Order: sequence, then C-alpha cells, then structure tokens
Amino acid sequence: MTSLVSVENLTVTFPLGQRLFGAPPTLRAVKNVSLQIPKGSFFGLVGESGSGKTTLGRAILKATPIEDGKITYDDGSWKCSIAEMSKAQERHFRSQTQMIFQDPYAALSPRMTVRDIIAEPLEVLGLTKTREETDARVREIAGKCRINLEHLRRYPHAFSGGQRQRISIARALATGPKFVVADECVAALDVSIQADILNLLKKLQHTLDLTFLFISHDLSVVAHVCDYVAVMYLGEIVEEGPTKQIFANPKHSYTQALLGAIPSLDPDQRSRVVR
Amino acid sequence: MSLLSVDNLTIQFRTDEGLITAVENVSFDIQPGEVLGLAGESGSGKSVTAKAIMQLNGHNTVYDPASKIVLHGDPDIDVFSLRRERDMLPIRGGAISMIFQEPMASFAPAITVGKQMVEQLQVHTTMSKSQAKELSVEMLDRVGITDPGRRFDQYVFEYSGGMRQRAMIAMALTTKPRLLIADEPTTALDVTIQRQVIDLMKELIDDFGMSILFITHDLGVIAQTADQLAVMYLGRIMERGPVRNVLRNPAHAYTRGLLNALPNLEDLDAPLMPIPGDIPSPLERPSGCVFHPRNAELAPGSRYETEVPPMTEVGPSHFAAVFPEDVR
Repeated sequence: MTSLVSVENLTVTFPLGQRLFGAPPTLRAVKNVSLQIPKGSFFGLVGESGSGKTTLGRAILKATPIEDGKITYDDGSWKCSIAEMSKAQERHFRSQTQMIFQDPYAALSPRMTVRDIIAEPLEVLGLTKTREETDARVREIAGKCRINLEHLRRYPHAFSGGQRQRISIARALATGPKFVVADECVAALDVSIQADILNLLKKLQHTLDLTFLFISHDLSVVAHVCDYVAVMYLGEIVEEGPTKQIFANPKHSYTQALLGAIPSLDPDQRSRVVR
Repeated sequence: MSLLSVDNLTIQFRTDEGLITAVENVSFDIQPGEVLGLAGESGSGKSVTAKAIMQLNGHNTVYDPASKIVLHGDPDIDVFSLRRERDMLPIRGGAISMIFQEPMASFAPAITVGKQMVEQLQVHTTMSKSQAKELSVEMLDRVGITDPGRRFDQYVFEYSGGMRQRAMIAMALTTKPRLLIADEPTTALDVTIQRQVIDLMKELIDDFGMSILFITHDLGVIAQTADQLAVMYLGRIMERGPVRNVLRNPAHAYTRGLLNALPNLEDLDAPLMPIPGDIPSPLERPSGCVFHPRNAELAPGSRYETEVPPMTEVGPSHFAAVFPEDVR
C-alpha cells in the first residue's frame, strides 16, 4: 500500500517566552517522529493532553513551523515536500488537505450563513468561477453531509452541536480534499450524536475516497473507526500498527495503561478491556 | 430515612425568547452513604438540578411552587424556604459541598490553595487558623498529594490537572459534608487521571460515609462509582433504579439508545448505532414523552406523542417513564 503522507524524523519545538540574552528555553512538542499514513486509510492518533498529537497533525498541514525532519505528500499524481513548497504548490496543497476542529461552537463564524461558511474555502482558493458554480458545489456537499438545503440561509446559532459539526465537515470537504485531519472532532459532542458523526465520516471516506488522520483521546472511538492507530506519549510515538492488533495485544506499557483506564460499563468489572 | 429528597422539581428560565423549561417534575431520594449517578446529555437539566439543591441558579430562574427539596436531619431544611444569603450557609458548603468540572476555574488564581482551604473552614466551622491549616494539610495528604506541606502554599497554576481535582475534593471534604455534589468531576481529565480520581472517590466514600450526587454524561464512570442511577433527557428523568438493574436491563428506549451508541470494545466490527435525530431546541419542546420524536421503537400515532408517561415500576425499585402496558 502506498503512503499518502510520510513523516520522517519530525521534530517540532516551541519557544517558551523570551530572554534578553541568549536563546529562550524551548518545548519539544514532537520528538523525532516517523509515520506513514497509507492512502485511503482512517489513521488514528491517540494520546493524552500534551502528548503532541495536535501539533503533529498541524505540522503535516503546514500549519505550524517544523524544526527538523521531512514530510512528504504524494497522492500518486502530485507530490511535494511540505517544508519546501512554492506558492503555487502551497495553493494546490491547501485545496487537497483540510482540517475539522473539535468545538463546532467555536469553529463556525456566527456572522456568516451556512452557505457562506461552506462556500468560503472555494472562494478563497478560487476553485469556482461563478456564483452559480459555487452554489451548486455547496448544495452538492451539503447534501452529502446530510444538511437540510433549506437551512443554508440560516446562521450557525440556530443549530445543535451535531448539526454544526456536519456543517464543519461540509466546509472541510467543499474543496474536494484527499486528506483530512480531524482533530478531536467528536470530543465535544453528546454520545447519541457522536456515533452519527462517526458513521458519516466513515461513509464519506468511502464515497469520496478520503484519507483521514483522526486525532482523539478516546480509545474506544478510535478502536471503532480507525484501520491504523499510533499512540503518542510526550511527543513520541510509542506504539503503532493495525488497530485490531494494538487493541488485542498492546505491547507498550503506556498503551496498556490507556486501555486499562477506560471505565467498564459493568459495575462489577473495573475496566473495559479484560486481559 | 433518606438524606435528601427532591419532589416534583420543575425549573424554568426566563429568557428573551420566553420561558424555557430546563427541569420538569423531577423526583428522587438520596439515602445516607449512597452514590446517586445522574446521567444525561447536554441540555438534560442535570447541572440545573444540582444547582437547585444549593440554590445556585441565576436570578432568571422560576421554580414551580409544587417543587420541594428537603435536606433531612436535625432539623430538616426546606431548601426553598431559605431566603437570605446567610441562611444558605448550611446548604452551601456546610452540609453540602460541590466539586466542579473545571478545577482550574474553581480555584481563585491569585490566592494560594492553602489559604482558600483555610478560608472556607473559617466560614463554616469554629476552627482556629492553625487547626484549619493542620486539617487542610492532612486532607491534601489523604487525597494523595505528595509533600502536602509545600503544596499548601502553592498557587493552583503550579498544580497539574489531576492534582487540582484532588485538591478540589480535599477542600470539599474538610467541612465533613453529608452530601457531596460532583458535577462532571472527571470530564476534563485524561483517562489515566480519571481512573485515579474514580479510585480515590470510591475510597473516600468508604472512609467518610457521605452521600454523593455524581453528575456525568459518561455511563462508564457512573457504572464504576454509583449505587443508584437516574437517566435524564430534556429535563425529565427517563429511568431510575439500582445501577446494575438499569445498565443490565434498561427499560426505557432512551437508556437503551445511549448504551447502544457507545463504542463496544468487545466487538470492534459492530456498527455504531446513533440515536436518530438531533436534540431539539429548548424552544421546541416535544409534547408527550419528550423523547418520542427520536424513539425509533414507537409506531406513529402512539400514546407517547400526546401523553406524558408516568414513572412505572419495571423491577424492584427500578422505574421508567413508560406506560404500564409497555413494561416487558
């Protein structure tokens, strides 16, 4: 299987404050990480807060500066290295990769209608020529994300969390991307809605031939939707492999601790995973 | 004799769009030493119910005159009869303590943790400053904070997330409350830290013997901590009973829906089963059983669309909001 994204020895550091003399202290958020994301996969990235999973996702989308290492994107017909892109390449890259955020209440501008929210990436990247073309594309993608077309004229405040997250997904998919980073995209949703959004993402993955990097702290969700999973701890990947293998037989003690910590639904049993 | 009884609690909020019903006809009891888990999704009214017990809801709150909350003891305290702020001391921090979801936001950032712990003891007890400090340090030690003497003089930003929640619990317990209200105490924590906090709370229940009202949206956390479980949806209790009975034999379609919507770790290939539809806006409250528009088990035109189902006994002290003919 070919990789859509390959990450080699990636290191990302952030400066902590400023010093009058000398270099400021730094935080190494991602340390020497290598990762292959196979084309067409649903790739899970799990870890606790501060483990660097969001930073890794952002680095792949060129949304955060890279200290060291190499990230390549190759969809078979077009390839580039994220660190050394020309302006024209970056333009194309932006249309091919998108992000879905955690909080659907914060991710949508309250002053734009749903139609404008979904149309914005198309207009910014100049992917559609006329207003009619934009509208047609917005309607097509809204339909795929199960947004009622009559709701396109409304503002986000009129929608529930699940509906808003479907709008965020439609916005991300409007440009016809091949690679989507979903950063904790169900963490803020209620359980009854969470399953609905996950099923929608899975369905869209198949119909639109997408590759997902699914960032989550919730192992039980990752276990259900992801084909591959990588576990991050303090900026490093401690374990990775096919999801079923990792869940059936976790090798690293941190993965074991994470799995053991999921509370069981059975009051007479401590943890969800029995070993 | 129960410790707390809530009867026919109905809470509405006055807003620009009109009256919004947050809680409707909620009744439950908490026995001494018992943990009642209150589960529900956002907007189900679980936090509003808890805040009503401590009279912490805002000025736009309208309580129905039939609502009654009584803290039993010597003497009984009728929560709604308390009018003045100083009369509320026994329920706010005296007999009842509360811990919140976000421990960073619950501590004052510019005062040391120790000073805040001492302050509340001086408000609620007759302890001297040195006694209060001694007890506070002892309690920090009890909840598993290492080097409590040094930590006592630190600020909350110097604590990690798990430590903050431990300190919050320590602070809530120094006044020896009879009831502890825990509102989503583990939601903001990582799973491994959540595990530690759950274990700590279970130990403390055994040691201190207080009752707990445990509010969470996570049924796994409830299963691990609670004795009794009440499931709320749009301000009504859909089902309540002993936690094992409710989780093993859920009688209400909503409880079953919630359990089915959770990812199942035993069978990774099983499809995820969402509850159909979206949570309705509070302004468009469904008639009859509030869950009926999302209940796929109902045939069109059923009684649930127009009539409110009563709490029917479906098993030993296990009740659900269904009509008696639907008890299986």
